[in-house]
Amino acid sequence: MSIKAFTLVSAVERELLMGDKDRINIECVECCGKNLYVGTNDCFVYHFLLEEKSLPTGTATFTATKQLHRHLGFKKPVSELRAASALNRLLVLCDNSITLVNMKNLEPIPTGARIKGAVTFALNENPVSGDPFCVEVCIISVKRRTIQMFMVYEDRVQIVKEVSTPEQPFAVAVDGHFLCLALTTQYIILNYNTGLSQDLFPYCSEEKRPIVKRIGRQEFLLAGPGGLGMFATVAGISQRAPVHWSENVIGAAICFPYVIALDDEFITVHSMLDQQQKQTLPFKEGHILQDFEGRVVVATSKGVYILVPLPLEKQIQDLLASHRVEEALVLAKGARRNIPKEKFQVMYRRILQQAGFIQFAQLQFLEAKELFRSGQLDVRELISLYPFLLPTSSSFTRSHPPLHEYADLNQLTQGDQEKMAQCKRFLMSYLNEVRGTDGPNGYKEDIDTALLKLYAETNQDSLLDLLVTENFCLLTDSAAWLEKHKKYFALGLLYHYNNQDAAALQLWVNIVNGDIHDSTRSDLYEYVVDFLTYCLDQELVWKYADWVLQKSEEVGVQVFTKRPVDEQQNSFNTDDVINCLKKYPKALVSYLEHLVIDRRLQKEAYHTHLALLYLEEVLQQRPSANGKGAEAATTQAKLRSLLQKSDLYRVHLLIDKIQGTGLHMESAILHGKLEEHDKALHILVHELKDFSAAKDYCLWSSEGRDHPYRQRLFHMLLTIYLSAGPSDCELVVATVDLLNHHATEFDAAQVLQLLPDTWSVQLLCPFLMGAMRHSIHTKRMTQVALGLAKSENVIYRCDKMKLKGNSVWLSDKKLCQMCQNPFCEPVFVRYPNGGLVHTHCAASRHTNPNSPSPGNRT
Amino acid sequence: MKKPDVKIVLLGDMNVGKTSLLHRYMERRFQDTVSTVGGAFYLKQWRSYNISIWDTAGREQFHGLGSMYCRGAAAIILTYDVNHLQSLLELEDRFLGLTDTASTDCLFAIVGNKVDLSEDQEKDEVSSEQASSSCVSTKVPKQVKLEDAVALYKKILKYKMLDEKDVPAAEKMCFETSAKTGYNVDHLFETLFDMVVPVILRQRAEGPPQTVDISDYKQPKQAKSGCCA
Repeated sequence: MSIKAFTLVSAVERELLMGDKDRINIECVECCGKNLYVGTNDCFVYHFLLEEKSLPTGTATFTATKQLHRHLGFKKPVSELRAASALNRLLVLCDNSITLVNMKNLEPIPTGARIKGAVTFALNENPVSGDPFCVEVCIISVKRRTIQMFMVYEDRVQIVKEVSTPEQPFAVAVDGHFLCLALTTQYIILNYNTGLSQDLFPYCSEEKRPIVKRIGRQEFLLAGPGGLGMFATVAGISQRAPVHWSENVIGAAICFPYVIALDDEFITVHSMLDQQQKQTLPFKEGHILQDFEGRVVVATSKGVYILVPLPLEKQIQDLLASHRVEEALVLAKGARRNIPKEKFQVMYRRILQQAGFIQFAQLQFLEAKELFRSGQLDVRELISLYPFLLPTSSSFTRSHPPLHEYADLNQLTQGDQEKMAQCKRFLMSYLNEVRGTDGPNGYKEDIDTALLKLYAETNQDSLLDLLVTENFCLLTDSAAWLEKHKKYFALGLLYHYNNQDAAALQLWVNIVNGDIHDSTRSDLYEYVVDFLTYCLDQELVWKYADWVLQKSEEVGVQVFTKRPVDEQQNSFNTDDVINCLKKYPKALVSYLEHLVIDRRLQKEAYHTHLALLYLEEVLQQRPSANGKGAEAATTQAKLRSLLQKSDLYRVHLLIDKIQGTGLHMESAILHGKLEEHDKALHILVHELKDFSAAKDYCLWSSEGRDHPYRQRLFHMLLTIYLSAGPSDCELVVATVDLLNHHATEFDAAQVLQLLPDTWSVQLLCPFLMGAMRHSIHTKRMTQVALGLAKSENVIYRCDKMKLKGNSVWLSDKKLCQMCQNPFCEPVFVRYPNGGLVHTHCAASRHTNPNSPSPGNRT
Repeated sequence: MKKPDVKIVLLGDMNVGKTSLLHRYMERRFQDTVSTVGGAFYLKQWRSYNISIWDTAGREQFHGLGSMYCRGAAAIILTYDVNHLQSLLELEDRFLGLTDTASTDCLFAIVGNKVDLSEDQEKDEVSSEQASSSCVSTKVPKQVKLEDAVALYKKILKYKMLDEKDVPAAEKMCFETSAKTGYNVDHLFETLFDMVVPVILRQRAEGPPQTVDISDYKQPKQAKSGCCA
């Protein structure tokens, strides 16, 4: 694949050199800055000044102005020229002798210093001496198999080293101490300092002209077998794959990243980066190709030309224009070290982005994504390809010059819907990834809005995820788009995110009412209720309270009952809510239940209200009791439970209400609340004839009270049972049951008094046994307690005896254990361990806990 | 350009499939290749290491370059064609000498490529005569058996004066592959990569190779002595 890397321009026309003298040929050239030197076969050296001009088209032209020319005084051709600008000297090889001439006037130096006996020579471009006013020159000597190293100064030369080679050398290049030599049958690396040599590879220098070209630090380019350009380091290793030249290559030069070779007919350009041939320029009869500090000069025997490299950027752009992404990137990467870092990064990023768009246009999304990412593409460049995605308010304009050739996606896909869809899918995934990174600072709005539009357009569920999490979708733009795509639910979410809950709710209510259509959520009503439940705006809740309650009282009331507790307490006035709920009895009941049962509000009004509502409901349900028995039963159970557990409602009011309704159990409970256990039990036994309920009544009514209270209740019940007389068989059974099962709740002696004499012991056996057992148990327990108390008393008495038993001698020699003073009075305190202290010391010990303790007083 | 940590070189007669093997491994596919000119190399990222793999030209013309390519190599893959006995013999005659420049602890792998063109080994042993006489199948019996490669491997060890105990066993280092089907190709390269990783670590521990020696400090002394003498 070809690329235009160089253009060939003429530098020195034939007329300028030799006019019409045909015999005169160019033998060698040297270029140093603006100075161009040409050596001819008639022993002249020409000096030209090169002037570079850039044409508006971008290509450069050169004009050479001749400064002077000088004959060197030999009859031999000038075979080689090298400038040593630091010394202001030109080294001229002519007739096997290197002379030094002044670079400016071409005059030989007065001292006449020269190197004799040189076949060819090379300058050390990586000098080892470190002296800036000295050039290191290596020559192949006329002596067989000999290399000599010289130091060349301004006006003298000095031989440094002579080394002999195993075979006759033909060409040489130098780098530091390393000589790269083409010998008769092979190339070698020779360290002239140590004398160590390293074979590279065989090459027959007599058959084909060898090429030895230093291309950089410690690396050489060599002509190899089969027209190969081989790379070799001073270590004898090849680090780059060879380039493939023609068999008859004459010369080679380097102009990074290209290797340029010359043969009879062509100049060929290979890339060192991928070893591919990049360009071929027809050039006949060339015989010199050299590079001088990056400038590549070719010459025929009659004219001098310059190969002007096209700016790398231009080359890269050309490659990109022909969609050769890989090559462009390789070239760009290769150029890294030739371009200042800052500039390179900008350039390289742009190339990556361009390459990304090329891949994108070919729907190579994976590659494109990687390129966009590494090129740090402003995502808006990509978004702007998709019509209408960027918000109208976006300040974005595409970079100039453009990164790609496409106006929009329609042009890119040429209307192919499938491709369009693929592109959209890619953008969605790409934007989604970009969102997660820190990259898009400053244009999050553009990204999120674009993403929202894509999601809406392609019916993605991610739309909702986007809207319920943190996002930067622009309201006006997004709203219009969502409306257009009938995503009303999502639109509501958008409004909500933008603190426009009223608008959101209005939309959703309209959807639920069927005014507008959006089937995103089938449970939208529940969603709205939930939304209102957590909505902090009270006005909104009030506004839609009626609406939600009309839809469903049970669900709608959650707006009030399920609110977070802390918020509820300080915002919604319960009385307002109750007032509002008056029209919705079921909701009201739920709400009061919530207040009384869940929140345990101790307010009489709520309890009474709830009880009354329950009662009402029970009464309502009773006439048609057959149909909804279960429901009636649950309501009744709720009523009872409330009446039992709550102590706050107005009992009298309820008793009034309940009178004559036949709700015996309830009225029994109510009487119980008034401590009218007699009445309550009476109702239970006589009205309701529910004996187990009566027994339960005794149990729960006395819960938390003392034993006598419970006993009183049980006796009350027993009395009621017995007062009916022995004729009532049912009651007799109940009595016996009660006694037998709750023997411990009674005072057996009293009971026996009450019982009719006719009852057999057999009948009451369990009761009697229980009572006996209880009585005996009590007696024994009392005896145990008595015994324990007695023995405790004995222990204390024993202690007392012991303490009193011995006499205490108090003399004036005894000291108080606390103050260490003698006792002056016969009054003292004695501790159980025998210690004696003053009474006042003992007293102060108790007030002053820090004083030393003589032991505990018993 | 990333600096390779270690070098592996493919050697072998022309047309045994060196380029195809490498291509199969790097590009995951098989395609017809043209005769390699000079050489080519790939850089393979293996874990955190860069491994350069050199593909050499098998043609006689480029034979002289082999030594240079092998210089300092950590592993050399000697490749032959299982259907051409000569290609195995060439390894010993022509290519073994090239490996003299490789590093002293260089690993050798012997790879018989193009097994897809021959019959299975077991079949081969049982009915080799039948197959050759009937000529029904386009597949031919394998000319080179794995044992031959193993024998060559042992010869190489002798040539290098290595003890069998110090190097990987022959069975581990002789492979039969097919670049066309991909058979055993990954196994070959990855086995070798795993084996050269310790070499890389050793190199790193030893510091930069001693061959590159600018000798900046010796020169002034020399210059002085030259001056005084």
